[in-house]
Amino acid sequence: MVDVFTAGAVTLAESSMEMPSIDDFLPPEILFQGTPFAINRIIFVRILATIIMLLVLGITAARAKLIPGRWQGAVEWVIEFVKKDIVYQVMGEVRGKRYVPMITTVFLTLLVFNLCGEIPGMNIAASATITLPLVFAMWCFAQYWIAGIREKGLGHFLRDELFPKGVPWPIYILLSPIQLLELLVIRPFSLTIRLFANMVSGHLILALCLSATQYFLIDVVNKFMMPFGVVTFAAGIFMYLFEVLVACLQAYIFAILTTAYINMSYPEID
Amino acid sequence: MTIAADGVQLFLPETYDIVWSLIILIIVAAFFYKFFLPRFQSIFDERTAKIEGGLAKAEQAQKDAEEAKKKYQAQLSTARVEASKIRDDARAEASHIIADARSRAESEAAQITANAERSLESQQQKAMVNLRGEVGSLATTLATKILGSELKDTDVQSQMIDNMLADMERDESKK
Repeated sequence: MVDVFTAGAVTLAESSMEMPSIDDFLPPEILFQGTPFAINRIIFVRILATIIMLLVLGITAARAKLIPGRWQGAVEWVIEFVKKDIVYQVMGEVRGKRYVPMITTVFLTLLVFNLCGEIPGMNIAASATITLPLVFAMWCFAQYWIAGIREKGLGHFLRDELFPKGVPWPIYILLSPIQLLELLVIRPFSLTIRLFANMVSGHLILALCLSATQYFLIDVVNKFMMPFGVVTFAAGIFMYLFEVLVACLQAYIFAILTTAYINMSYPEID
Repeated sequence: MTIAADGVQLFLPETYDIVWSLIILIIVAAFFYKFFLPRFQSIFDERTAKIEGGLAKAEQAQKDAEEAKKKYQAQLSTARVEASKIRDDARAEASHIIADARSRAESEAAQITANAERSLESQQQKAMVNLRGEVGSLATTLATKILGSELKDTDVQSQMIDNMLADMERDESKK
């Protein structure tokens, strides 16, 4: 392995293999530079993905028929999946009804944005900046605070959260600050970072596999290195498929955790 | 390769990023809340209503059919009962008529027979009386002619006639 890396390093200097880096997530501004409406590559991808999603789903909804075709059937399946398998399964139908539009928005938007990382030409998830997951997490944050205050009142909500029942009182000294931290910071930031880190690492690994393939199969001078190219290409295909899975999975996890956090603000037994 | 950015920068939200994330979130949320989901919900509701309506209609049709069947069966059974009643009545009437006719015929026949017997008897009696009278006078005249005055005594006369008649009857019964 060491040989490979040193050899790689040597040839890297010669033909400069393109390594993915975190610079990919801090691209230069390409439009409206310096204004609050500046657009860089990721934001461009995000806007494009939004327009495409709204057009496709909007046309689907506008043309929705009583007897669905295949595409409409698929879209309806996703809607039913979010409603039944995410919201109602976690919260039950009575509580959940109010949150179906929110969770549908979260799930479908994040799904499309995450999948942008696997769309050739876009090549980066539209959710691959810290801000986008953070905005979605803040929406979740606002919703579970609102739900808690509405259902229990601020005092009851805080008491239930900070001083859980059935715990001996000395534990509260340790537990209550943790619970407060959980309520204010951990929940939204774990949501944010989980999604962001997955998108970043996915992009890095996939880009690494593919640029290594490019390097070993095409750019490299030493033809004995080509088997490594085959391996990295296979790994690239595998990682591509894996990233598609991760994109769906992270959208699902974000949606189901949002639902769960909101549900925690409700009284225990209903 | 450009100078690698400081990793911390990755976690610092840019103002324009916040702006574009919020704008897009608001647009997307408005789309899902106000158009996409209500539209599909109305489609789902309409579909449910249609399916339920269809089911209800089918159920109604089945109920109607069952009712009609029940009605027809009831009608059929009453018709059957009526028919059998009519048949029984007819049969009873027929036997009645036959019995009537038979008894009338029998009584008529009996009457005719009785009449005939009666007239026969009376004729026989009449004949007997006539015969008796005629035979008696004939015999008397004959005997008187043969025996003369000997038979002028009426007692002897009648005794002789009786004897003769008895002989005749005996002869007749022998035959």
